[in-house]
Amino acid sequence: MDASQLLKGVLDVAVLAVVRDADGYGYDVVRRLRAAGLEDVGDASVYGTLRRLYQAGALTSYVVPSDEGPHRKYYAINDRGRSVLEDSTKTWRTFADTVDGLLAGTAAAA
Amino acid sequence: MSAPALTAATQDYLTAVERELADLPADDRSALLEDLALHLDALSGEDDDRPIAVRLGAPAAYAADLRAAAGLPPRPEGPAPAAVGLRERLARLPVSPAVREVRRLLRELRPAWWVLRGYLVVLVACLLEPDDVRDFPVPAPLGNPALGMLLVLAAVVGSVLLGRRTLPRPLAALVVVGGVVLAATSFVLGEGAWSRLADTTAYPPPLPDVPSERYPLLSRYGPVTDVFPYAADGTALEGMLLYDQDGRPLKVGLQEWWDDGCRRVLDQPLAADGVPVQNSYPQAYELAGQGGSCTEALSRPEVPLPVFPAAESVAPDPGD
Repeated sequence: MDASQLLKGVLDVAVLAVVRDADGYGYDVVRRLRAAGLEDVGDASVYGTLRRLYQAGALTSYVVPSDEGPHRKYYAINDRGRSVLEDSTKTWRTFADTVDGLLAGTAAAA
Repeated sequence: MSAPALTAATQDYLTAVERELADLPADDRSALLEDLALHLDALSGEDDDRPIAVRLGAPAAYAADLRAAAGLPPRPEGPAPAAVGLRERLARLPVSPAVREVRRLLRELRPAWWVLRGYLVVLVACLLEPDDVRDFPVPAPLGNPALGMLLVLAAVVGSVLLGRRTLPRPLAALVVVGGVVLAATSFVLGEGAWSRLADTTAYPPPLPDVPSERYPLLSRYGPVTDVFPYAADGTALEGMLLYDQDGRPLKVGLQEWWDDGCRRVLDQPLAADGVPVQNSYPQAYELAGQGGSCTEALSRPEVPLPVFPAAESVAPDPGD
């Protein structure tokens, strides 16, 4: 099964979860998602998701100047983002349980 | 905001993605591209030699993923829509590395222009103000340089803020046109101010401070250009030959400017061998060319002749 198709559906919740733990800039969010096990996540998908969540008011952003190179644009979760994450978490659990149940049933029937 | 310093390859990648996003609203496009520029810079710090198109995928694919994830519409198919701007059309033309470097340089110089623009706005306004107050380098609106400093500061801040914002196309075009007009006006005004400044500094010509071929004799008042000898009884003497303490012919410079505005050239007497006698005083001049109100005759300057005692001789009496 192609995990990248599944990933598209859950990238919002994954990005929000990563940023909830600690504010992050784009490159950093990509790396944290990969480190958490989502190795197939595409750079462009993460940046697009960050942009959309920011546009939707679920994230705020701020710029941190850097001594070594260009500035970094950090994204932080806000109240709206937390409530989106909470709702998404519930949806995900229900969905995952449903699919788990289906799979268990299939396995039992097999 | 400092733009990351990108290599030519990453710059190409950025340009290619920019092309793919050309149809998006300016604020979406610039936000996505700014993120990408920072990302490319971060990737360049990694220990990975693979080309950028291998690591991130082809620019078109990257742009497509970006659009999909950001919830933006996919790129319209087919030929470029007619509404595509000049910038996008130019971006599609193949560019030489030199052009790319120039573009990069111009992009990097933008903040400097923002600062200059703020200063010029105040300066030009003050130069156009019809007063005799000196407006350069510190503009003095209403004759007040302190106010000028404040205004310049405010204008620079405003200009930089304006420069950092992504404006909608018509407004951005207006800003560009305004900038060109401002630069041209400053240039014209600046040139006028400069030539006025040059007018006041060019004349009189600077006085030499060491003797030269042109001005062999200097006094504390400037170059000596003539000598007018008088006898002790006040008789003006002509054609006197003068020598210095070592017996060398005494030479002076020559007069180049005359009060009556006429041009004259030196007319030194010739010796039997045809060589001009350079130490014959007063020097003789003849009119060069034009006649009109110019006359050959030159009057001697007024001189304060001393009055000697009538009975005694000037020289000490050897019989005394």
